[in-house]
Amino acid sequence: MGMARKYWKGLEELKETTEFIKHKENEFPTQQTVEAFLSNDKLDETSTGRRDFLKFLGFSVAAATLAACEAPVTKAVPYVVKPENVTPGVATWYASTYYDGASYASILVKTREGRPIFIKGNKDFGLTQGAVNPQIIASILGLYDSARLIGPTENGKLTSWTTVDSSISKALKSAKTVSLLSNSIISPTLQKQIDEMSAAMSANGQLLNHIQYDAISYSAIRQANEQNFGAAIIPSYDFSKAKTIISLGADFMGTWLMANQYVQQYGLTRNPDSKWMSKHFQFESFMSLSGSNADYRGMIKPSEQAAVLSYLIKGLGGNCAVASTLNTPVKNIADQALKSLKSSKQSSLVVCGSNNLSLQLLTNQLNQLLGSYGTTIDLTNDVKLFKSEDAKVIKLANDVISGKGPDALLFMGVNPVYSLPNGEAFGKALKKIKTTVSFSGFADETASLCSYVCPDHHALESWLDYQPTNNHYAIAQPTIRPIHNTASVIETFSVWSGKSIRLGKDSSTAYDLIKSNYSERFPLGDFAYSTHNSCETLPGNANVLTPFKKGVLGKMPSAGALEVVLYQKGAIGNGQHASNPWLQEMPDPITKATWDNYITMNPVEMKQQGFVTTYDQEHGLNLATVSVNGNKVTLPVFPLPGQALNTVGIALGYGRGANGEAIGKAAFQTKEYGGHDLDDKGGLKPIGANVYHFVSTENGNLQFDTTGSLAKEEGTYAIASTQIHHTVMGRHSIVRETTLPIFTSKGKEAYNPAHTLQKLNKEGHHEDVPNSEFDLWDAHPVEKIGHRWGMTIDLSSCIGCGSCLIACQSENNVPVVGKDEVRRGREMHWLRIDRYFASDEEATIGLRKDKDTFSYDKAEIAAENPKVIHMPMMCQHCNHAPCETVCPVLATTHSNEGLNQMTYNRCIGTRYCANNCPYKVRRFNWFEYPSYKKFTEVNPAQDDLGRMVLNPDVTVRTRGVMEKCSFCVQRIQSTKLVAKKESRMINDGEFATACSDACPTNAIIVGDWNDFKSVVYSSSKNDRSYQALEEIGVKPNVWYKVKVRNEDNELLSSLQEEKPIAHHEGKKAHH
Amino acid sequence: MQKEAAIREPLILGHKSYHDVTEDVCRPIEDKAPRMWYVLFGIALIIALYGIGCIVYLLGTGIGVWGLNKTIGWAWDITNFVWWVGIGHAGTLISAVLLLFRQKWRMAINRSAEAMTIFAVFMAGLFPLIHMGRLWVGYWVLPLPNQFGSLWVNFNSPLLWDVFAISTYLSVSLVFWYIGLIPDFATIRDRAKKPVSKKMYSILSFGWSGRAKNWNRFETVSLVLAGLATPLVFSVHSIVSFDFATSIVPGWHTTIFPPYFVAGAVFSGFAMVQTLLLVMRKAMGLEAYIHTKHVEYMNIVIMVTGSIVGTAYITELFISWYSGVEYEAYAFLNRATGPYWWAYWSMMTCNVISPQLMWIRKLRRSLLFTFFISIVVNIGMWFERYVIIVTSIHRDYLPSAWSMHYPSHIDIGVYIGTIGIFFVFFLLFARYFPVLALNEIKTILKGSGQSYKEAPDYHKHH
Amino acid sequence: MAEKVIYVMYDDEEVLKDGAKSLVSKGIKIADVFSPFPIHGIDPIIGVKNTRLGIMAFLYGLTGLMLATVGMRFFMVTDWPMNIGGKPNFSYLENMLAFVPVTFEFTVLCAAHGMVITYLLANKTLPGMPAQNPDPRTTDDRFVMEIRLSDNHQSSEKEIDELLKNTGFVEIDKKEVN
Repeated sequence: MGMARKYWKGLEELKETTEFIKHKENEFPTQQTVEAFLSNDKLDETSTGRRDFLKFLGFSVAAATLAACEAPVTKAVPYVVKPENVTPGVATWYASTYYDGASYASILVKTREGRPIFIKGNKDFGLTQGAVNPQIIASILGLYDSARLIGPTENGKLTSWTTVDSSISKALKSAKTVSLLSNSIISPTLQKQIDEMSAAMSANGQLLNHIQYDAISYSAIRQANEQNFGAAIIPSYDFSKAKTIISLGADFMGTWLMANQYVQQYGLTRNPDSKWMSKHFQFESFMSLSGSNADYRGMIKPSEQAAVLSYLIKGLGGNCAVASTLNTPVKNIADQALKSLKSSKQSSLVVCGSNNLSLQLLTNQLNQLLGSYGTTIDLTNDVKLFKSEDAKVIKLANDVISGKGPDALLFMGVNPVYSLPNGEAFGKALKKIKTTVSFSGFADETASLCSYVCPDHHALESWLDYQPTNNHYAIAQPTIRPIHNTASVIETFSVWSGKSIRLGKDSSTAYDLIKSNYSERFPLGDFAYSTHNSCETLPGNANVLTPFKKGVLGKMPSAGALEVVLYQKGAIGNGQHASNPWLQEMPDPITKATWDNYITMNPVEMKQQGFVTTYDQEHGLNLATVSVNGNKVTLPVFPLPGQALNTVGIALGYGRGANGEAIGKAAFQTKEYGGHDLDDKGGLKPIGANVYHFVSTENGNLQFDTTGSLAKEEGTYAIASTQIHHTVMGRHSIVRETTLPIFTSKGKEAYNPAHTLQKLNKEGHHEDVPNSEFDLWDAHPVEKIGHRWGMTIDLSSCIGCGSCLIACQSENNVPVVGKDEVRRGREMHWLRIDRYFASDEEATIGLRKDKDTFSYDKAEIAAENPKVIHMPMMCQHCNHAPCETVCPVLATTHSNEGLNQMTYNRCIGTRYCANNCPYKVRRFNWFEYPSYKKFTEVNPAQDDLGRMVLNPDVTVRTRGVMEKCSFCVQRIQSTKLVAKKESRMINDGEFATACSDACPTNAIIVGDWNDFKSVVYSSSKNDRSYQALEEIGVKPNVWYKVKVRNEDNELLSSLQEEKPIAHHEGKKAHH
Repeated sequence: MQKEAAIREPLILGHKSYHDVTEDVCRPIEDKAPRMWYVLFGIALIIALYGIGCIVYLLGTGIGVWGLNKTIGWAWDITNFVWWVGIGHAGTLISAVLLLFRQKWRMAINRSAEAMTIFAVFMAGLFPLIHMGRLWVGYWVLPLPNQFGSLWVNFNSPLLWDVFAISTYLSVSLVFWYIGLIPDFATIRDRAKKPVSKKMYSILSFGWSGRAKNWNRFETVSLVLAGLATPLVFSVHSIVSFDFATSIVPGWHTTIFPPYFVAGAVFSGFAMVQTLLLVMRKAMGLEAYIHTKHVEYMNIVIMVTGSIVGTAYITELFISWYSGVEYEAYAFLNRATGPYWWAYWSMMTCNVISPQLMWIRKLRRSLLFTFFISIVVNIGMWFERYVIIVTSIHRDYLPSAWSMHYPSHIDIGVYIGTIGIFFVFFLLFARYFPVLALNEIKTILKGSGQSYKEAPDYHKHH
Repeated sequence: MAEKVIYVMYDDEEVLKDGAKSLVSKGIKIADVFSPFPIHGIDPIIGVKNTRLGIMAFLYGLTGLMLATVGMRFFMVTDWPMNIGGKPNFSYLENMLAFVPVTFEFTVLCAAHGMVITYLLANKTLPGMPAQNPDPRTTDDRFVMEIRLSDNHQSSEKEIDELLKNTGFVEIDKKEVN
């Protein structure tokens, strides 16, 4: 028909035929809803002409957006703008709260035309002070996952709420015992619904057995506190007060407890310019994010944690029965730790990552000795998350397996079939249960085996309230009308307990319940106002605690020839986000590997056992099988410097969808030329391997450190890593590091020498002059003229978590390219985080021990337990940009605001600019990522629903053009626009790039460098500020700040003398 | 007519008359092509078609089908480009520079050398085109007024200089070549029996009549074109070398590149001429015109340019160490001892050692040895470009971005394919074009022809 | 009106040259000479002036040089000056260095092609033009001298034949042409 109208339009318009008018009316089908549209499966085979295809494409976005356009259910209160004016082109921010059972944060959600497209931390209100982690930022993509259930299902078949409600209520009435297995519930309202239901059931002789279960359990901490203080609580830790931080295998920056909150606090203590700087000791087996940032890091086996704790306790005059023999290197660090602890009593903090009760008891004892309670540890305001009751969970699982299970079993926010040690057996046994119900949004491992699935809203679609800590109350508000026919669990429960009736997706039940609940707690509160702030402080109802009494030590972690550490990656965590391609493709902060988990082992040990320790595009890593109490897993062995000898680490959270469950297409392996990779039985291949069955139990607590054995296997496995060279080769002008003593005692010349060239002075003698004074030509002026956007990145506070990377990807529509392309070194991230290990040739990263004996070959190999630096690297927006001069068509030029700007639609793709970029930050569109078949499974932009996440302010780049960091120019422009409308200058801090927005430690500062009162200007003038590769004279607009480690390092301080190095630098630059 | 000393080896052997010369050159064109020609042509055609297939796939799918990555933006594509441009230097050098120097021996080889040049530059020009991410907007490199407003090109960019250099070089060489062809086409035209070929060649010969005035103009034009082409030859590869020399990449940013590249170009160009002519003289019975003396002359050129290239390599190494610049020093250390050491050392053996053997007269005059070396040299020169391009950028400033390059089968297919296309062109040339410059040969027949030199009255003649 | 033309054929360029000398000394005007290759020294004898194509080439080159200079100044400095890698383009001279290669190439381009086009036009050698050599062998190994009676009223056809006899030609042919 398209053609017909194309030919005859003019004529019919002339005649005004009825047919024409009919056509005209449904030319733009506005009535169609997104459901109706998406259910139109004909869309997949658009074998029609180009014009029709484009029509579909445009229409798909249009229709879906229109559906989304409808304002959120009932009254949501936006952060800045009033909700009714959803002005096209103007973003609306909503304050909300994020909680997924593992991480919690106060967030701001950016919506455009009714579509949530970006999440960032709420720096003004809330518990977490604006700190977020990659998972939280990336969770926005989960909202648009096309694998989400679009309605309730009965035995896998889609059905209506009324049917499931009636049949489930019937089933529940008939059931004698009902078990509800949920993640830690911190929503008062939801808890109330559950309580009411169980009350109602017990009224007629039934039993509702509610068990809370976290895949990653911290139950031992609660047990230890119960013994020591008479209350099974997890206290609030305050890292911002801790002058000495000692962590035993607790990755408190990455995944341990409320890591994102701790990171923010930790960041405050890492500024060498402030009065004091914390000293961080890490004793661990696996090189964790925290370990990589530690001032001192000791390599110990999990079984040696007890010895370390006892050594410290004894060292502080406490008495401890546990043996305290340590090997020399660890002992030296422990002594340093003792020195520091003694000097910082009342302001120290010891944390232990193990879920072993005895270790936690020792930790508490140590904290008690240090007087941490009441200072760095707050028992009165405890954390309500992580209430896992491991023993009950394991009992339930065993009951189900042995057929003694409850009559009805409800799963809320948990996926035990995947995450239980005996998950597989549990899954098989589920069918013995009469009624099984899951509230999961996906037909995941557990839900797919349940007789009913009643999908809950996505967090961004639902009203919820939270009580993360004793005195903090938070509200989560929806930012979009539910996309699918899902229902809030709060409503579902009140429906099943007959308190309310099902009102469909626009139901306000949950809202009303939460509101009434709110008014009970805050009789004088204004709900709208609280929602606007997203939180309220609850009147302190402090816990009743008994004074510290020593606990009874039980079994310590058993030692073994090979100890296996099960850890979490910052991106994938416990595995619930496994179908999120952004997170799968986020390079691991330490290994820089993507799309896989693996066995980490120290390269020193690998060489002895004949494993290859280098890998690249074509050379994979050897496979090996790890067996733990009878269970086996075969994975590649990854060389990880800093891994304790005789230990290996394996990441949890992988191997999701082992039986091809529909958890999202990005959760499975793909082939080189597109399509999912299938195993010989034609099933989907999961990414990595699930190692939850390695988890053992001790005093009824799930243990994530265990022992096992390792056997080398035939064959190799390709690893997709974004960095295949690990040291900085003693190059001094890339990363710079010093120690606090040097920084405080010596001048800039010692630790941050300027690059100089020699020139003749009047007397005719050579003198060293800073590079900046030399210029081949009188360049275009950038200083003091209009804006000059600049950035400083403090390597001291950057911990390399990767939040900036994901924020950048989300803000700038950076395509996901999949494992095969990453392996080929073609990831598209505009911002990467370079991770450099120290080699034995270097006094510290980038500084040669001895100029004369320095060997490049040795410098390529990382030390056994290396120091680590994380260096965010993005376009440096050079004022003398080498990329600009070489572009034949002026596709990249310099803006008069100091930006190196990329004109996509002018680019012809010669890649000369990328070759000539000394920082290698330019990214080329090797394929048509938004449509080429290879990326259908991984790139959200190829999915009708996934496409919704795209930021309308940023072009989706086409094949064959170059792209790179733009300093979020779209944000600069809108900020300028606002300022212009209000006819004023831009205020400092008014504009922030996505990365600086996301940084939990505020390591990244952006602003107008020409505004001499701006923070970025003063920061760039700081003694620690330097520019990467300054000597090549490209004059970047990005400054880095020397990393300061709070350690004593004689060698380093002998090398970082004021004059000699400066002079040497001069010489070097001179040639 | 200028004479030359009798002791000089004659350039044309045997007792040839003007007519014999015509016969010798026209025979292959007029006779049926030998079976061998068809065989070779068939092979070349198949390879060419495979290459074209690869190129089509490349253009249809994206540059990603090559083995490039975020660190290595150029590899085989630009390597092949520079390699072909280099080869495309001999022809014009022979016909232009040697003409200016009045080197008579050039006349036997310049026609086919120039043909070789032109086809090689065609192949070279192909790569900058297909290496573009968006070939369909490739015309944006021309300073055209356009609907985007007056958006011009960047005259600071060496790539743009390339555009002008290559197109000028190609078109001027083409014209130079054709101007010389016109009178010879006329010869064929006037001998042609079959109406079709008569028509064909009379069109090709532009109605050349060989009037005194025509010849007068002809000689001037040839001379002036030679004068223009000579600086062109040197400029083209200098400008190609600017692509690297003006960049900031350690190992590219080297001031000796222009002379070093030009020498290298002549080096590989002459090698390719040797490869082709040694086969052609046998296949087409031109031993009388292209013989040991010519081969020896060319070998001397190869030896000299080879030595220049060798010196350049050594200089680079020395300077990189002497400069004390960390990145520069490492770039060259990495070339020799890094992951691509094998490429570096095969380059060294092929380009530095092998031409030195030419000092030995016996080897210099041995056709078999020459043929072997000529191929070795071109392998070496390919590696030179690969070493310069890939081993410089695969490890430049930030170790975090260091990477390795692995060619995909499309990389290889496209490269082999261009060799196929090149030979298709050259075989067609050998079949239908006069492979010797008839009119020029005839002018030196009396001066340097054996028969006339041996004639008793040679010295008294006029 | 029809006129008579004598084509005298030689098999050696030297013989032809000597013949031409003697004829010219006898006051015979030789209209043209057809040869398979340039006969050095024939032009002054039969009075063919040297071509001025070289000068033309120079002028074309000059044009190219001018166009390149003016063009690049307009593109880069006047019309749309941009900040490219901070390089100065405030005036032509500051930016000139970068323009040298293109200027040179463009100059050569114009010179070469301008001259060649002129050459082809002047020669009337263009695709599809008819050949005018009197005998096909003149492109092989024969040299032909063209004498028009209309140019030589002072001497009769007979006299010319007489004179030609001792120039050692191999063939002689007379045609009526208009």
